[in-house]
Amino acid sequence: MKKEKVQVKICVGTACFVQGGSDLLLYNDFVDPAIIAECEIEGSSCLNACKADGAGAPYVEINGVLHSKVTQDKFCKLLTEAVKDNA
Amino acid sequence: MNNIFIDVDYAQIYKHGQKIGGDVFLLSRNPESNKIVCTLSDGLGSGVKANVLASLTAHMAHKLSFSPIDLGHSAEIIMNTLPVCRERKISYSTFTIADIHYKENMENINVRLVEYDNPLALRFQGCEPMSWQRDKRELQREAAFKKEVVQYSAFNMEIGERLIMFSDGVAQSGLGKSLPLGWRSSGVQKYVTDLIKNNPDISSRELSAAIVQKANALDGLCSKDDITAVVVYIRRPRKTVIVTGPPFTKEADEILGEKIRAFDGKKIVSGGTTALIVSRLFNAKISVDLSCWSPDVPPASKMAGIDLVTEGMLTLSRVAMVLEKKLPVASLPNDPVKKFVEILLDSDQIHFIVGTKINEAHQDPNIPVEIGIRRTIVGRLRAALENIYLKETSQEYL
Repeated sequence: MKKEKVQVKICVGTACFVQGGSDLLLYNDFVDPAIIAECEIEGSSCLNACKADGAGAPYVEINGVLHSKVTQDKFCKLLTEAVKDNA
Repeated sequence: MNNIFIDVDYAQIYKHGQKIGGDVFLLSRNPESNKIVCTLSDGLGSGVKANVLASLTAHMAHKLSFSPIDLGHSAEIIMNTLPVCRERKISYSTFTIADIHYKENMENINVRLVEYDNPLALRFQGCEPMSWQRDKRELQREAAFKKEVVQYSAFNMEIGERLIMFSDGVAQSGLGKSLPLGWRSSGVQKYVTDLIKNNPDISSRELSAAIVQKANALDGLCSKDDITAVVVYIRRPRKTVIVTGPPFTKEADEILGEKIRAFDGKKIVSGGTTALIVSRLFNAKISVDLSCWSPDVPPASKMAGIDLVTEGMLTLSRVAMVLEKKLPVASLPNDPVKKFVEILLDSDQIHFIVGTKINEAHQDPNIPVEIGIRRTIVGRLRAALENIYLKETSQEYL
């Protein structure tokens, strides 16, 4: 059976973009290509998270779970874990 | 807003080797008196002397057209003021004046045309050439060796009609070289017919540029005279709506959707939350295009039924900055701002629908100050579009 890919959504709304979201969009430069191959990464014009919980931008949603204050390092770690769990 | 737009533009190439032209074109739009005046004047010879004469004639014609004096009378005043060349006994400069009047709602566009010694203007309905009645009047001036003929005409212009005026540099291009008698009016007419046939919506800017380039090519890219072409085109305005910001109340979302659906023209949605609302109303999926990364603005998205979907405040501030600094579009990086500006510059009328809901996420002190207040930025955009690019704009709040 074909394995489902990890669903990743990066918020590119104004608040997320200016607080670090723009760096996450360069994922091709800092994430292992083997991991990217296991993920389906897409943008979202707004995850509507900034107004709800206020935990801190930028937000990323991985397989339906919301993560806040995602830096490049944190993004790598989260993706690696998600891919491992998915395997 | 009007449902008719009068598109006037011109193109010009100076005589080869000259830094200044002997053809002068002046255009004034005067919305208060519902009037547009175009004046094309060609001074004898080329270079500085010709430019001074042509400028003199064009400005006189222009000023007189805005005064209440009858156009026929003003033409006589100009003719009597114009010097006659001592050696050649011919007039120093020629002119064509198109005085365009319209009623309040842009209906009944009436043109009064005065032509003196320039090649006769051409008219087209779609790609079909039209002919019309001209009234000739002869005028004998003191030093001139023959009577001079001024031609008057008046006609109404309908939608889809074009009026094309050009200097003798166009009609005589290729003279003695590629064409023994030059391109002549008939050649220009045939060329324009073909151009319009291939591109029925060709703008005045493109059409005038094409005529001038063709004339220059006939001259072997070494123009023998100043080449100028002017196009007046009556058409439906190109409209664009920009939707930015969520409506103040949730109930107004439905109204927003209706307004977007009913709008006839290009549609831009600017704002992440706004895009979500529109996507829900239209039941259309948004897909963010992550392929083009820019450090300044978030990527654009695609949505069926909407021409451009972008992020809100950052993109709008960049667009306002580009418009205010008059940066050339071609020099911009290939990002959402460029697409946004291209659509704006291609439109005649731009309508803003501004949602007034406050974005709580933008009240965070960590957010950079560039993220201003939506209404301020829309104000800047409108000012730039109206004052620099002469667009019509309007706005409403939801």
